[in-house]
Amino acid sequence: MSARDDILAAIRRNLRREPSDASAIRTAAEALALEARESRPSLPGCDLAEAFAQRLVSAKVVGASVSHIGHFSEAPGEVRNYCDAHGLAYEMALQPDPALQQLDWSDFTITASIGADQTLAVAKARWAIAETGTLAFHSGPFSPTLMSFLPLHHICFIERERILAHLEDYAAAEAGATPPRNVNLITGASGTADIEGALVRGAHGPAFLHAVIVDAGEL
Amino acid sequence: MTRAEADTFKARAGAALADHHLKTAIDRTTRTARQKREAAVAGWPGFSRARDLGARIKDHVIENLDHYLIEFERNARASGAIVHYASSAGDACQIVVRICRDAKARTVTRSKSMLGEEIGLPHALDEAGLGRVETDLAEHIVQLAHDRPSHIIWPALHRTREDIAALFREHHHTPQNSDDIPAMVASARRQLRGGFLAADVGISGANFLIADSGAVCTVTNEGNAELTTTIPRVHIVTAGIEKLVPSLPHAFALLRLLVRSATGADITQYTTFHCGPKRAGDLDGPEAFHIVLVDNGRARMLGQGLAEMLRCLRCGACMNHCVVYNEIGGHAYGGVYPGPMGAVLTPVLDGLETSRDLVHACTLNGRCQEVCPVDIPLPAMLRGWREKSWAQGLEPVTQRSFIGLWAFVVTRPRLYRLGAGLAIKTLRLFARDGWIRALPLASGWTSTRDFPKPARRTFMAQYQAQKRNRGL
Ligand code: SF4
Repeated sequence: MSARDDILAAIRRNLRREPSDASAIRTAAEALALEARESRPSLPGCDLAEAFAQRLVSAKVVGASVSHIGHFSEAPGEVRNYCDAHGLAYEMALQPDPALQQLDWSDFTITASIGADQTLAVAKARWAIAETGTLAFHSGPFSPTLMSFLPLHHICFIERERILAHLEDYAAAEAGATPPRNVNLITGASGTADIEGALVRGAHGPAFLHAVIVDAGEL
Repeated sequence: MTRAEADTFKARAGAALADHHLKTAIDRTTRTARQKREAAVAGWPGFSRARDLGARIKDHVIENLDHYLIEFERNARASGAIVHYASSAGDACQIVVRICRDAKARTVTRSKSMLGEEIGLPHALDEAGLGRVETDLAEHIVQLAHDRPSHIIWPALHRTREDIAALFREHHHTPQNSDDIPAMVASARRQLRGGFLAADVGISGANFLIADSGAVCTVTNEGNAELTTTIPRVHIVTAGIEKLVPSLPHAFALLRLLVRSATGADITQYTTFHCGPKRAGDLDGPEAFHIVLVDNGRARMLGQGLAEMLRCLRCGACMNHCVVYNEIGGHAYGGVYPGPMGAVLTPVLDGLETSRDLVHACTLNGRCQEVCPVDIPLPAMLRGWREKSWAQGLEPVTQRSFIGLWAFVVTRPRLYRLGAGLAIKTLRLFARDGWIRALPLASGWTSTRDFPKPARRTFMAQYQAQKRNRGL
């Protein structure tokens, strides 16, 4: 017998039963998932973009800041402001997302791929989640995973209408779609409490995460 | 002391109790952890309902473990993952080493995984001559010090900042200029970047295995898991079979409990789902993705009255709140898993004969179960091991006569409650800040141990009252 068969046989022997009915199991699982909605944390009464922004700059999230722009065309100006405020050169890795690529970045030196010691990366998030102040990224041809992990500063644009309330809403929004290689749910900057429990940011990933809420979304 | 003597629990615990340096190190981390967890739980009105639900989600999976294992395997394969099964720790290590050899790997990055520690993977990789780079900061410290992890969330909690500063100065290429913690973290960041970029294989654990998609979820705050799993050519996951959940919403329900109980945050900085290898058109990611599903005693636990232990999310709350753990630290337990959950698991993994002292290293104050986010009856399970140890004749004579008395009392519940109730009223008189520092007539106990202030009523009395309130 293979290890797989051994393990399955041992499970059934110790549970003292035969394989059970798949549809009954599914019904029970769905009921449990629904029940989770009753006890999940509630959100402040304001709109979702505001709740997300409040959450991001609260003490609950490490190393994050937030700003707003009206339209994507203002993105390069917003990145310039950020660089000026942090004393950074106008150099960055830009996520190959069409919405970002079509903008006028002529002030910037742009690298196509992300370097190991990249100072700044600029990207567009797929979703945001107000409950936790989280930005969601899916890996793909327009979105390399490392863009979120190698830079020191990470600027993330998020369209207002893609801000969701709870973690479950993310699952519902993507239900039925084939999952990408990586879903990265990112909440604030990288941190560690491994030395005496003291929180320090910028452990391996970014030390600064800046979210920009885009009010009007696509052109 | 002979080697054998030094290797008993009593000897290790005795040495730990006398080590004030260690006590300082433990206190610095677990105190913060307790305070933050308390605040996180207080800030979530739905916590107790969510906790009850979390336990039921895990029980549902455990009752249908065969079903979910097959569903997960099917979906993982469909995503392009190669799924392996290992009955034992040794088999699991062999599979991982073989994958590394087949990939002609020279160096391997590892992102912290307790399952990896459980199966002895670091040692197996070293034996196989593979260059191993531990990327979690704490595991990096443990590796530099040729140490073992002493906590499941903060593996280097037994090391003070002074110890770590000295280690980094000795081992890092460009160590910190000043010994403040941020400078030390920056030094580790510089040191480990090279390791991330050069690795041929990246090995992670799993916090959840999502059955309906075949995805593997990891949670970290540092971002080391993603650098470990994205850059190398091959990504290997080693996971215990109890990590299964039916779907993403179930993982989220458990994630809320796990993170608040572990660090007091609401979510970790990085919650990542890995599904298959790099896809066509992807700009990064591994060419091959292997998942090693490990039993190592878990299926057996189902038939040993230990099924509820498979709910464990590995959050560490039980040890942060354990009087014994806080006095002796993790190494004294001798196993991979310390604290209350370790005292229950180590007899499964290492045998009761060698670990029977552990199941006695407990005051049965019930605190661990109260803080456990999935309500695992740890004290009852420890009592179960004690009874088994007694029944198997593993107890020495002195202990057997004491246990005989204890058994006489516990089998007469009214007498037991009366005795425990009286003891509590007396103990509360000596308490300050919830911890008792000096007990008359018991200084042999409190000179090296703080005794937790008992709850106003015994656990059983509170439990009965709650049951009445809930109308059960
Ligand atoms: S037994 Fe409970 S409290 Fe302890 S680590 Fe497991 S889940 Fe956490």
